[in-house]
Amino acid sequence: MAGISLEHVVKRFGELAAVDDVSLEIADREFVTLLGPSGCGKTTLLRLIAGFVAPDAGTIRVDDRVLSIPSAVVPPERRGMGMVFQNYAIWPHKTVFENVAFGLDVRKVPRLEIRARVAKILEAVNLGGLESRYPSQLSGGQQQRVALARSLVVEPSILLLDEPLSNLDAKLRERMRWELKDLQRRTGITFVYVTHDQSEAMALSDRIAVMHQGRLQQCGPPREVYAQPTNRTVADFMGLVNLLPGRVARDTSAVTFGGAYSLGVALPPGAREGQAIQIAIRPENIRLAPFSEAAGAPPPDAVPAKVVEVTFLGNLTDCHVTLDDGTRVRVQAEPGAIFDVGQRVLVRLDGRACTAFYD
Amino acid sequence: MLALAAAALLVLVVLPLASLVWSSVTDEGRLTLANFRAALSQRLYVQALWNSLVLGAWTAVLSVAIGLPMAWAVGRTNVPAKKFIHLTAVVAYVTPPYLTAIAFVYLYSPNAGLLNRFAREVLAAPALTFNVFSMSGLVLVTVLHTFPFVYLLAASALESVDASMEESAQILGAGRWRTAFAVTAPLVAPAVLSGALIAFVNAIALFGSQAIIGLPGRIFTLPTRIYALFDYPPEYGLASALSLVFVAITVVALFLQRRYLAKRSYVTLGGKGSRPRLVALGPARWGVFVFCVGVFVVAVLAPYVTLLAVSLSKSWGLGFWQNLTLKNYRFILFEYDVTRRAIVNSLLLASTAATAAVLLGSLISWIDLRTTLPGRKLLDYASLIPLGLPGIVVAVALIQFWLRMPLPIYGTLLIILLAYTGRYVPLGVRSASAAFRQIDPSLEETARVTGAGWLRTFRSVTLPLARPGLFAGWILVFVPALQELSASILLFSSGSITLAVAVYNLYETGYLEAVAALAVVTMLIITAAIALAMRLGRSAVVGERPTVAG
Repeated sequence: MAGISLEHVVKRFGELAAVDDVSLEIADREFVTLLGPSGCGKTTLLRLIAGFVAPDAGTIRVDDRVLSIPSAVVPPERRGMGMVFQNYAIWPHKTVFENVAFGLDVRKVPRLEIRARVAKILEAVNLGGLESRYPSQLSGGQQQRVALARSLVVEPSILLLDEPLSNLDAKLRERMRWELKDLQRRTGITFVYVTHDQSEAMALSDRIAVMHQGRLQQCGPPREVYAQPTNRTVADFMGLVNLLPGRVARDTSAVTFGGAYSLGVALPPGAREGQAIQIAIRPENIRLAPFSEAAGAPPPDAVPAKVVEVTFLGNLTDCHVTLDDGTRVRVQAEPGAIFDVGQRVLVRLDGRACTAFYD
Repeated sequence: MLALAAAALLVLVVLPLASLVWSSVTDEGRLTLANFRAALSQRLYVQALWNSLVLGAWTAVLSVAIGLPMAWAVGRTNVPAKKFIHLTAVVAYVTPPYLTAIAFVYLYSPNAGLLNRFAREVLAAPALTFNVFSMSGLVLVTVLHTFPFVYLLAASALESVDASMEESAQILGAGRWRTAFAVTAPLVAPAVLSGALIAFVNAIALFGSQAIIGLPGRIFTLPTRIYALFDYPPEYGLASALSLVFVAITVVALFLQRRYLAKRSYVTLGGKGSRPRLVALGPARWGVFVFCVGVFVVAVLAPYVTLLAVSLSKSWGLGFWQNLTLKNYRFILFEYDVTRRAIVNSLLLASTAATAAVLLGSLISWIDLRTTLPGRKLLDYASLIPLGLPGIVVAVALIQFWLRMPLPIYGTLLIILLAYTGRYVPLGVRSASAAFRQIDPSLEETARVTGAGWLRTFRSVTLPLARPGLFAGWILVFVPALQELSASILLFSSGSITLAVAVYNLYETGYLEAVAALAVVTMLIITAAIALAMRLGRSAVVGERPTVAG
């Protein structure tokens, strides 16, 4: 059992609150990713969990054991966690074997058992036979595995990972993603993973905790965070998004935008008629169709627009259109869709795929 | 260009060294190994060799014992007053070692030394006396100059070890001490060892302290033996052979240092550069602090206070504060006509040598980095030769070379200038190449494409961009050149006397109080010159600071 509980954790560096009143429950065996741009406080939060940093306020528990309060911090060496650093932090003066064996050595595990356990874990990460190599003789991906093996061999109940894949090339990164996910499933270790790459977060996590300026913005399963962001920052960070300015319509379950068009959207509670609002919709949830004024008035669920830019990207066609009031909208259409710059089109928004924020 | 640089190195380094070798294996034109046989078998010289090795070894060991704890305290613990500890090492480093030696003679010469008299006459505890004219005394004053090598190298190594290296040991369950010994120590060991070898090489080359402390105690070392061989009648052959033995020791030490560093250099440039947690020492931090204060007292406070006190007293002794006077300064500044000449000569020599070394260094490193001329690597290697040549050996080589030449420069400022420039050319090359490496070649290529010739490009693009680095190199040569003694002592004449030689000569005459006054004046000049150079350099750098791309 190793659930982590953060309650109102604060960490300041001078004036700056790097971590600002963060509360988060991480369940045993869960894979949680702390996601956010650089400087958002995610690494500081990870280091708070590891015990390298003492909180200025709040409590950190693992199960029912208090590990950090401002006045007392259990040092990292007595937390029994594992950690993988962004630069791997493989000791260059030790061989692969010595690197991996270190944690067992500290725990006074008998020699023979150390040898067996190191061999087993190196086999598991596909490094069998490289025991006597020095880190400088390994590739980046191999160093990464040594770092993993070193953390895993002591069988921690919690593994902290600080952007472990960011120094690998794209192909290797993708493969390591699956290996990590698979490893977590097999071992049942609680993973806390830090990254600024939202696709990595979505691929790996049970839940994503989006952070911005030290605050926890939203925490939920990848689909939820992607499809129902709770605010503009999260919407923006989780991928491409159109933010259309609008107003709450008379019946408060719809908004008007782009002149006088109306769209049924689930509004956050407390909506008042005429209130300014932002409608967030992802480019892949918008449909385009050719349109000619001569054919008559547009249907009520569609908005006329003009194509201003078309880019063919292989697996999709990326279009920019402007509504008649000048609002610019980005649309990702299927690759076969052919539109010309200047062409009139009809834009169809799916109200169920929209989220609205007051702003 | 290549020819110019090659000719300069030939005259400064290669030919003098060749004539040194030639003179060591010839006697009146006949080839002989007699000089080497004498140097390696006669008791006199074997003893000097042995003493030099003992001195170097002890100095290296004690430099680590002092420099490493200080570096660790500053870099990894919560010891108080870190700036002060760092400054202690820096001041100890720039203090001319012969001044430290003289100061300790005032305190610990067997009979007249102030602290010895205090122990005998006031405390009545002769057990507390210490004879500075001994190997221990020599090691003591030498270490005070060399421990900063270890300190500075260890401190920068500690800084470059990424925090995550230590943190990953901690998260695996290792406590602070275990982390320090299993991770931090091995990572900085190459730098520490390298610092120890540099301390060794520098220690055995210091003529001043070895003459001031060693000669009264009849402890001869290689530099003082070589120096003695120039007494009339000079024995050039033997001096050359002994010099080459000296060079061999230095080169072996430097070779070991390079090889060890190349093999086990773990410069881990930190990704995020998060600082490691500092070891909270608890009450022990005051113990560590007291240790550092002790180093400050012995290495900085004692020498400076002593020199100042002696310079202000009518006669040095227990009651010196009862007869304070300024007459020593009046003598030094107004009556002793050597002083002014020495000041002018030293400033002139140091600034000219620094300029020459940096110019030549720029030329050599530019040829190495930016051209494909054949022989450029050879040029680069040749410019490193002086690293292996102790000051006194440079002097011996230059004397032999120029005595054979029709140009009578022996005894002039010019030969001293050649010695300084030759000695410090490696510093010039190193700073210039560091400066040029930071300039993206495309910046120069752009100038060429827009129509500027080679010289124009060098003058209006390369040089301005490299200026901060070149200026740092200039200071790096200027400071030691201003205090140079080991080579000057064999090359000076009454007209070309330098500050350091003036201090040494006056000390030889035994006029102690005047020596102290001259020492204080020397320190003031050095300090003022460094401060002025820094200020000029800064305004030149800040005034038109270029943005360096790449």
